[in-house]
Formats: sequence, C-alpha cells, structure tokens
Amino acid sequence: MKKLKGRFVWSMMAVLAAVLLAFGATRSSGPTTQEERIDAISKRLACPTCNGESIYVSRASAAESIRNEIARQVASGQRADDEIVAYIESRFPGSLLLPPGEGVDSLIWVLPVVALVCGFGGLVVVFRKWKREGDVEADSDDAGIVAAALRNYDDPTEGL
Amino acid sequence: MNGVSRLSRRLVPIVGVVLVAFFVVLAVSKPRGEADVSSPLIGNPAPVVQSTLIDGGDFDLSRRKGSWVVLNFFNSTCVPCRNEHPELVKFAEEQTAVADGAELFTIVNDDSDEAVNAFFAEKGGSWGKVRDPDGTIAVAFGVAKVPETWVIDPSGFVRMRVAGEVTASLLSSRIGAMRDMLNGVGS
Amino acid sequence: MPAAVWASGVAGPVGRGALLVGVVAAAFGAIAAITAARESARGEVTRTARLVPRFVALSFLAALGAIVAMEWAMITRDFSLQYVQDHGSRSTPPLYNFTAVWSALEGSILLWILALALSAGLVAWRYRRRLDDQLITWAIAVICIVMVFFFILSFGPANPFAEGAPGVTDGPGPNPLLQNHILVLFHPPILYLGYVGFTVPFAFAIAALITGRVGEGWLLETRRWTLFAWGFLTVGIILGGWWSYEVLGWSGVWAWDPVENASLLPWLTGTAYIHSVLVQERRGMLRVWNLSLLLATFSLTILGTFLTRSGVLNSVHAFSESDIGTYLLVFFGIIVLVSLVLIGWRGDSLRSPGAIDSPVSREGAFLANNVLFSIFAFIVLLGTVFPLIIEALQDRQISVAEPFFDRLSIPIGIAMLALMCIAPVLPWRKASTELLRDRLFWPAWCGIGALVAGLVSGADGLAPLLAFALGGFSGGAALRQVALATRRQGWRGLVGRANGGMIVHVGVILIAVALSASNAYTRSQELRLSVGTPATFAGHTFELVGFREDKDDRSTAVKALVAVDGGQAYAPAITKFLNMGMNVGTPSVKTTWRYDIYLTLEPPVKMDSGEARIKVFVKPLIMWLWIGGGLMAIGTVLAAFPGRRRRRPTDPTSADVPTNVERVVT
Repeated sequence: MKKLKGRFVWSMMAVLAAVLLAFGATRSSGPTTQEERIDAISKRLACPTCNGESIYVSRASAAESIRNEIARQVASGQRADDEIVAYIESRFPGSLLLPPGEGVDSLIWVLPVVALVCGFGGLVVVFRKWKREGDVEADSDDAGIVAAALRNYDDPTEGL
Repeated sequence: MNGVSRLSRRLVPIVGVVLVAFFVVLAVSKPRGEADVSSPLIGNPAPVVQSTLIDGGDFDLSRRKGSWVVLNFFNSTCVPCRNEHPELVKFAEEQTAVADGAELFTIVNDDSDEAVNAFFAEKGGSWGKVRDPDGTIAVAFGVAKVPETWVIDPSGFVRMRVAGEVTASLLSSRIGAMRDMLNGVGS
Repeated sequence: MPAAVWASGVAGPVGRGALLVGVVAAAFGAIAAITAARESARGEVTRTARLVPRFVALSFLAALGAIVAMEWAMITRDFSLQYVQDHGSRSTPPLYNFTAVWSALEGSILLWILALALSAGLVAWRYRRRLDDQLITWAIAVICIVMVFFFILSFGPANPFAEGAPGVTDGPGPNPLLQNHILVLFHPPILYLGYVGFTVPFAFAIAALITGRVGEGWLLETRRWTLFAWGFLTVGIILGGWWSYEVLGWSGVWAWDPVENASLLPWLTGTAYIHSVLVQERRGMLRVWNLSLLLATFSLTILGTFLTRSGVLNSVHAFSESDIGTYLLVFFGIIVLVSLVLIGWRGDSLRSPGAIDSPVSREGAFLANNVLFSIFAFIVLLGTVFPLIIEALQDRQISVAEPFFDRLSIPIGIAMLALMCIAPVLPWRKASTELLRDRLFWPAWCGIGALVAGLVSGADGLAPLLAFALGGFSGGAALRQVALATRRQGWRGLVGRANGGMIVHVGVILIAVALSASNAYTRSQELRLSVGTPATFAGHTFELVGFREDKDDRSTAVKALVAVDGGQAYAPAITKFLNMGMNVGTPSVKTTWRYDIYLTLEPPVKMDSGEARIKVFVKPLIMWLWIGGGLMAIGTVLAAFPGRRRRRPTDPTSADVPTNVERVVT
C-alpha cells in the first residue's frame, strides 16, 4: 500500500495529468457557428441604453440593432472581430466593456496584480516571522541565554 | 510587540489614505445622466444610408448632396418623439418657405409601416419616411435612443446632432447660421 | 366598492405611524441597551436590561406593521399612495401584486427593516437570560442603532407612504420582468435575510471591541449567526442566478452587474471569515483579522446598497434616483470610521501571541484561502467602482463588465479549486509530504478520472479542463472526509461544521464545474423556422409546430411552439405589456441532467407568416448549478448543528498520523 502511494506512482500521475491537459488544451475546438462569433463579439460591447448590460445580455432595441449590425458584418466576412468591435466603439463611444491597458485605465489591470503580490508576499513574510519567533516571544533575557549557549556550541551549519 | 503587529502598524496609514480617497471618489460621484451627445461623426462624411421609403421608392443619402438634410430618428410609440412632432411639422413648413431649404427625413426605428403611417396621418407631416428594418442606419449613426436629429451639410458632412426632443427654432437657426458660414467661406 | 373606500387612505397614516414608532422604539432600545451595558460594566445589577427586549419587540412589531400596511395598500389598490400609483395596478395578478411591495426602492427598504428587526428580535430572545452581560447588551445596542438608521431612511428620503396625486385610479404595475416568475417571491426576501443577517456578527464584533472581550466564547455564537446569514446570502444569490436564467432570455446566470457584485462582495468576505474563524477557535489566533472581516462584510453590504441604490452606477437593478445615496454614504463612512478607530484602540490588546508553524497545515490553508478570497473581493470591488474612479479623475465614462471579471475570476477560481483539493485533508499545525501523498492519493485519481471524462465528452481548452480535473480532485478530497466521518459515526458524520462544510464544498465544486462547462461549451444558433420544416443544430432537431396567443387584460403573449427532437413542444414567448408598452421575452428550457436546451423567440414575430426566429442555446450541465446550490444550503444547515464535542472524527489527527506530527487536543 505504501508503495502504491509512493513518489513514483505520484509522479506518473502528474505526468499523465500534464499529458492529458496538453492534449485537451491543444486539440481543435471544431468550427464555431457565425452565431457564436456574434455572441463573442457582442459580449465585449456595452448596450448604450441599458445600464451597463452587454449587447449579448440586453434585449433592448438598441442592442438588437447593434447585434444585427454585428451579424451583418460577420456574415459579410470582411472584418475581423476586433475591427467590428472598433467600428461599434467608434459609433457608440464608451461601449467597450474591456478597459484597454493604457493610461489610467491600466490601473484596473495593475492593481489586481499588486494585490496578488502583496497578499501572498505578506503571507510569506508572516510565515517567515512566525518561523523565526516561534510560539513564544523571546525577550532580551532569552536572547542572552541563547547567545551564551551558542558561544559554547559548534554550529554544524556554519559557513553554509 | 510581535512582528505581525509591527507589519500592520506600517499598513495603517496606507489603508487610511486609500479609504479616504475611496470615500472622496464615492462622494463626488454623481448619478449617471444622459449619454454624451458628441459624436466622432461630426465634421466627417456621413455614413452610407441606403434604404427604402415607406411611401415607395428608394432612399440614398449620397444622392441628396447639394442640399441640407435633416434626419430624424423616430418611433411612433416613444413619448418624446410624439412630443416633438409638431415642431418638426413647423420646421418642415419653414424650410419649404426658404430657398435652398433643408430636406427632412424620418428614419423609422423599430416600428411597423402601418403604425408610422397611422401616426403621420393623424399628426401631419408629409416628408419621406425611411425604413430601417434592422437598425443599420441607427447603428451607423450611433443612435441608441430615439428621438435623435442629425444635420448633414450639402457636401455630405455631418454637422450637428441633437439627442432628445428638438425644436423648430433650434434647427432653423442653427442650420441658417451654418449655411451663412459656408456661404461666407465660399464667397 | 365600499371596502376600497374604507381602506383608502388608511395604509398611509398607519404605515407612517408604524415607522415613527419603529424609530423611537429602536432609539430607546439602543439607549436602554447602552445604559444596561454601562451598568453591568460598573458591576451594578442592571434593571434597565429588562427593558431592552421590550423595545426590540416593539420595533419588530413596528417593522411588521409598516410592511403589512404597505401590503394592505397594495392589495386593496389604495392609489392614494405614490408608491402604489407607481408600482401597483388593478390588473396585476395577486402573487405579483404581493411581491410588488418590494419591487422598488422604498418598499424594498421596508423588507430590509423587517429582516433587521427580526434579527434583533432573535438576538434579544436568544440571549434573554444573559442581558447582564455587557457584550450582549452592546451588541443589541449596535443592532438597534443600525435599525434606527434604516427606520429614518424609510421615514425620510425613502418614504413608501408618501401621498400621491389625487384622483389616480390605476397604475402601471411593477416592472414586467418582476411579474414573470415565482422566484420574485423568494429571491429578494432570502437575499435580504442574508445581507441583514451580517448585522448580527457585525454587532458582536463591535461589542467585542468596545468591551475588549474577545474570549472565544462569543465566537461560537457569532460563527453560527454568520453561518445562517451566509447561507441565506448564498441561496439568495443562487436564486438570483436562476431567476436571471429563467426570465432574462440571454441564457446566463451571472452578468457581473453592479448589483450582483454588491451581493458577491459580502459573500466573499463572509466566506473568508467562516474559514479563518476556525483558526481562532482552534488556536486562538487571527482575532483582529477575523473582527476586521466581520466589520468589512457589514460595511460592504452598506457600500453595495449605496452603489446600487443611489444611481451612481449603471445597473439593470438600479431603482429610481433619490437622495438616499447621501444617507447611505454617510452611514458607510461612520461604520468604517468607527470600525477603524475601535480596531486601532483595541487591536493590540486583542492580539494573541502564537505562531503558525508551517504553511502546509490546516491553518496555513485557511490563511491562503483568506488571501485568495480577499484578493477576489478586492478585484470585484475594483471592477465595480472603477468607472467611478475614472469619472472622478478624468470626467470620462467607461464601462467595466464581464470580459474584465471573467479574465480575472477564472484564474482565481482555479486557485480556489486547487486549494480545496488539499485543504480538507490537512492536519492542524504541520503536515508531512508522506501524509499528503497518502491522503490525497485517491482524490487525485478522481481528478484524473474527471479529466478523462471531460476529454471523452469532447471538452477542450486549458481553463475548463483544469477546472474539471481540480473539481474531481477536490470533490474526491471532500467526499473522502465525508466517507471517513460517516464510516465512524453513521449519520452523525454528516453534521457539525467540518462535515457540513465538506457537503458545502461538494456543492461549490459542482457549481464551479457546471459554470466552467456552460461558459466554455455553450453552442448557440439562430434558427429561422417555418412551420413543418424541421431544422437541426448541435445534434438536435427543432420544428415549429405553430403559434399560440394568450391574452389577458394586461398583456398579450405570443408563443412559438417548438418541438425539440420530435418530442414535447416548448413555448418561448414574447409578452407585450399593454400599459407599459414593453415587450418582454420569456425563454423556454428543456432540462436534462447533461445539458439544457434554451429557446428564445426573437422579435419581430409575424404569426401569420408561419415563420419564427428562434435562438437556440445548448448549454451543458446547467442542472448541476441548482443541485450544487441545494447542496450548499443543506451543507450550511448541517454545519450549523453542533458536531460531537470533543474530538471531531474527521479531524485529520484521528487518521493514522505520521510520528513527526504533533497530536493536538482540543
């Protein structure tokens, strides 16, 4: 039983998972319908009249019109997704739902990364401190005792 | 004083500043009002508009070059559209009296021919009514909410956008001023 | 109509009177509670304490009276009130007329007050024999103060009993979207119970800070209140998603709308608290952090209410503008200020010595959980208020929505799933790799199994496949704990916080897997169907059988009857609400355990043409969202029951422990 759950079987399992994930992640997803392209584009744009809903979500008539326009441009096949989004954005300024990473807008991408670094960085710092301090806080008397003990002790890790 | 506490001591001023800034942002934020009425189209060539008229025949904006064109985006059930209609009737009359008067067209937004005809029969107005069956024209101009009124100059450039209700005097005076300016430049 | 004549005009004065009584009773309740707390702090025998439950009961009756008056006005169609003129109508069916009371701002605050007064009443009743304890009286005082604020809100800027213009005999009724589905009866009250429920732990946190007593005794109580609030909030959020799915017609459950975000924020911090409080119970650590989480959770409910009710953010849920925003913002500021001052004042004295030995321990996992949840909450808050920040800095309007949140929530969700794989099997203090290798062996194979199952059914893309693999792994880890516990104790192995918690985990995992599958693999197509000519899409056939028109005096519904796979006909509809001039589409859904087929009828509909535009969505695993939600609710209830006192058998210390791991006795 111990052997079954040993390092070897675990590393085989990790390899297997990695292979399966790589296979799944790279295999082709098959053709998407035009409708799915339309959906993908309309999810990136805000409906101009409906309080922050996307074109995809909204059933308002303005959203309906814009969806029709997207459908027409997708059907004509002349423009890429980004170009269609840019066209709609040029007509309805402020309808882009994904803020571009420029200027002040980039804060929305920077701050989460900062939070992530601070959060886990803080965790690391806290664990380091805990590791150093242990359960009980050492005061100067304790430090003295330790120092005295250390003087009489050949540290095997010295020089590492 | 352990390390964790020292760490949080240092964090306190930062947290305080962030919170105060956040509070200020919330306090100065205003309820959202009407969308911006400026448009990147202003001063640029008008989008292509090709469609059909409810009373029969085709409509092609590019063939209207040479005269001022006013496009009114409209829906017979929208309340402000109904409110502004007498003003449009007045404006159309004023323009027929002027030499080189502006042409007015209604762009029908999300409405049936019958409803539009019934509305015009009741409220008056004999100008062209352009179909926009799936909102192409509205999207091309960036019209999200009717009514909106757009003015296009004789060379086919967009000159003005009015979101919401419009008045005959506003349209006439602004078009008059712009016409004088263009003529002044031309002479 | 003599009844109506008699009734007309009664509700307004009665409701106003009830609100006034409520303000006064809650204020006196707060004063009495504070007096009692100070008396017991001086060691006197307090007599004032006996008054506290009476004032609380009175404010509960007042809150009940106010909402009953509003219901009465709505049911009797008392159009003398502005609120009834705006949101009532003679033709609204009884159910939606009943729910119309909370279909707009003023009425929903009445519901909020009722939930708040109910919590206050429950607290006063639960601790009726411990009113000489200043912790209890301070907590009741805090709840009463919050109650005073909401009563004032309702009495002043959000007055539901304002007189309307005379002579009005009918109104438009509630928004058509709010008279379309039975869930409008359940979703708002349950959600409000969740929101408001967080007032109780908040009050205890403030009381603990004021009295300087954070002995772990109060924690047990607070944890249970938090658990109930959290459970209601969870169910409320899931019902909201269900409502969105069944009513809105875009086939989704979550759109990252500001109102949805406002409910998610306290849920995230509340979830963090439920986990980290266990570290405090077990090790006496993280006291200040836990208090801060409770304070943050309550502040976020108020902030969310401000953001979505003041009109500063665009939201489909936003109610009409009013100056209620100023009140809420000031209240939010006071709460944050008081919280910070109290923590600054008491924080150091509450701090406990001690250290967490190893990151690879249950404590370590809870800390990582807290960091993840806090970052997630930060991201949701940032995305929600970012348009306001840009507006303040540059006077420019931008929108932040689904694409932003999707991009960031997917990696965080995957990290959370990964943590859920390992955390349940971790022992306290320290774990060795041998121990992990042993306990995680079969759960890991479950992960491989789920991955293979996903691949076999045609899944692709890294993120959803990772979600399946980690979902299988974490599901295996949770079920391992449940299996061990039930083997030892039978049915008792299902109750208690650790065991119930594992059931909640299974629910969360089902939801995570179902969401990633339905987001990644939805197929959609618009079909132009003619009667008698079937069309095929994604392996299913759709045939337009005909149309049906249902008319009543308030609306006309046109339904297209579409037979799916030659079987039963589904009827997506478009309903025209006559007095609002509004068209509302209603989807029709075929549900199976593997996938949903979601049909909507697209305008314009010409019945005589024999043609219809039907949009078809084929969405995998949707049913598992609701099953997961149900499991989360059941798990929460199980977790709220006390488990076995001494040694919880699922505590990993009871399994075979490698000798280098210390045994910890509770």
